[in-house]
Amino acid sequence: MISNYTAIEGQSFRYWILLGVLGGFFLLGLGAFIYMEVYGHGVSNMTNQVVWGTPHVFAISLLVMASGALNLASMATVFAAKQYKQFRRFSAFLAIVLLVGGLSVLLLDLGRPDRLLLTMIHMNFRSMFTWNVFLYSGFTVLCFLYLWSMFEHEKYVKIAGSAAFAGRLILTTGTGSIFGVIHAREVFYSAITAPSFIAVSLTSGTSICLMLLVATFHYTSRPMDMRLVHGMRNMLTFFTLLVFYLFVIEKFTKYYAPAYYDVESWILAGPYSTLYWGGVIALGLLAPLVILFNPRSGNTLGGIMAAAALSILGEFAFVAHTLIAGQAYPLQLFPGHDISSIFLDGQSAVYSPSLVEILLGLGGVALAGILYLLGIRFFRLLPKKAEAPDEWHPWSP
Amino acid sequence: MTMDRRTVLGMGGAVAAGVLLAPGVQLIAAPPSNETSAAGSQRWAMLVDVNKCTPGCTACLDACRKENNVPLFGDPARDVHWIRKVEVQDKEHRRAPFTLPVLCNHCENPPCVHVCPTLASFIRKDGIVLIDEHRCIGCRYCMIACPYKARSLVYFSTRFPKDGNPRVPIRAKGVVEKCTFCVHRVDDGQLPACVETCQGSGQGAMIFGDINDPQSEIAQRVKTLRTETIRADLGLKPHVHYQGL
Repeated sequence: MISNYTAIEGQSFRYWILLGVLGGFFLLGLGAFIYMEVYGHGVSNMTNQVVWGTPHVFAISLLVMASGALNLASMATVFAAKQYKQFRRFSAFLAIVLLVGGLSVLLLDLGRPDRLLLTMIHMNFRSMFTWNVFLYSGFTVLCFLYLWSMFEHEKYVKIAGSAAFAGRLILTTGTGSIFGVIHAREVFYSAITAPSFIAVSLTSGTSICLMLLVATFHYTSRPMDMRLVHGMRNMLTFFTLLVFYLFVIEKFTKYYAPAYYDVESWILAGPYSTLYWGGVIALGLLAPLVILFNPRSGNTLGGIMAAAALSILGEFAFVAHTLIAGQAYPLQLFPGHDISSIFLDGQSAVYSPSLVEILLGLGGVALAGILYLLGIRFFRLLPKKAEAPDEWHPWSP
Repeated sequence: MTMDRRTVLGMGGAVAAGVLLAPGVQLIAAPPSNETSAAGSQRWAMLVDVNKCTPGCTACLDACRKENNVPLFGDPARDVHWIRKVEVQDKEHRRAPFTLPVLCNHCENPPCVHVCPTLASFIRKDGIVLIDEHRCIGCRYCMIACPYKARSLVYFSTRFPKDGNPRVPIRAKGVVEKCTFCVHRVDDGQLPACVETCQGSGQGAMIFGDINDPQSEIAQRVKTLRTETIRADLGLKPHVHYQGL
């Protein structure tokens, strides 16, 4: 029922402060873009070996998260989980704003963003980038159709929601395949890269939905049935286990091939191993699982929020590790040989983010945040109160 | 002015649909991307005799920089390199280390061309892989895809050097550049600058020619001698061959 949904008032001091802070970060991001546009990418810490840096980490993390944010709506529309029907509008809208945030960073980090329109005039259908142009815009169209059907024509919800669900799977497959198809890079090249991106999108998307819903309901004094939080916690637990499974399978497969011994050993013990073990495995996978399976912390709002935040941190670490370590690992011009040159052949690249890159990335996050705040202020995206069916009792640790 | 929800949703959807459909509309009118005047019967290739390439010699590098106005910024990680000398040592130290020039391999199946979203990277009929610098958007996907590290992004503003070659324009910051096999010279019947210099003041380690011409020296040497290409296992069919690897 549409009458069950209301926009937030958005008149509180806290609302305007939050909007102001996000606006500040957005302006800083804009400033970073202009600075890099004027002086070139030399002001960043990117090099000819690590050509995609922190802006790409932010952009791809947001794009992957956008796809996962639709999960809540898909659970209701495609998998008939009625208890999440009330979050469909929120979920589809959030997918769009995260996509806009991520794309803005991706596009503003181009060497020549002024030539962006060329991507729509001259297209190469062998390029995953070209496919992603269609996938991003196509996914946005599908989300708009889904929203439109939810607002105006409920009878089309099933088909629009199913199309958006398929769209999100294809979208994240496309994002993962940007890396997975590059056979020159041992860290990237794998058929399991794209499914891993999909699994990570599910954890991070569920986490961002969980955190934003709980925060928004709390700060607008709207009641939310704790069972809904527990249901989303269970989804997060399942998806985290799925990520874990895919990671194990990948390592298992690669360690069967002697040709991958060097690169896999480099990942597990090389210069970026801290990011892998600390960020991806410990913070992103193990810590959330420990929290979520613990009968005490797994049932408290604080514990579940912490696990969700760690999952998002883990997603950023996963994308950062895939991107940065994938590029930093030296290209094997002569496998089985040591090589050196004035172009730093044979050396692991050293990369750390620069301030201008971080600000550009945060600008995209801020843009997504601003659009979210404006969205819930001007549209009836959220229910007045979030209830769960009486007969529904989600599993608890 | 206020807009109702339906208007906003409709406008948002229309913008997104426009972005989705515009490429398709443009596609119909898009001209063939790799129309060139190069002859399809030719296939330019290079052969490097590693045994003649001495470690201290940088004649080919210097000639390339001068001929193509390749800038140096003084930052090894961000300098532009069209060609570089790589020192190779097998891990078991069974053979003395050796050096060889590495440049764009002008592959028959170039991954850089495959991944370029705007067709800025393209392959001519005669096999030379080039970049349309006016179409490059600086996405750097080609740099990720190239297994030879043959491409460089221009990280800083560049100026035309005082004694620069007027036949080769400098590249602006924000685009990717690489070896062109000195296409401007090849089209005039000359050798690439690196090859010419190597044969002159260098060690005579490099030869260049049409590998499709059975009478050419390069075709005969590739046919009769044991030559290899770098990372042949990737299936890219590179056209820079090495003798004595």
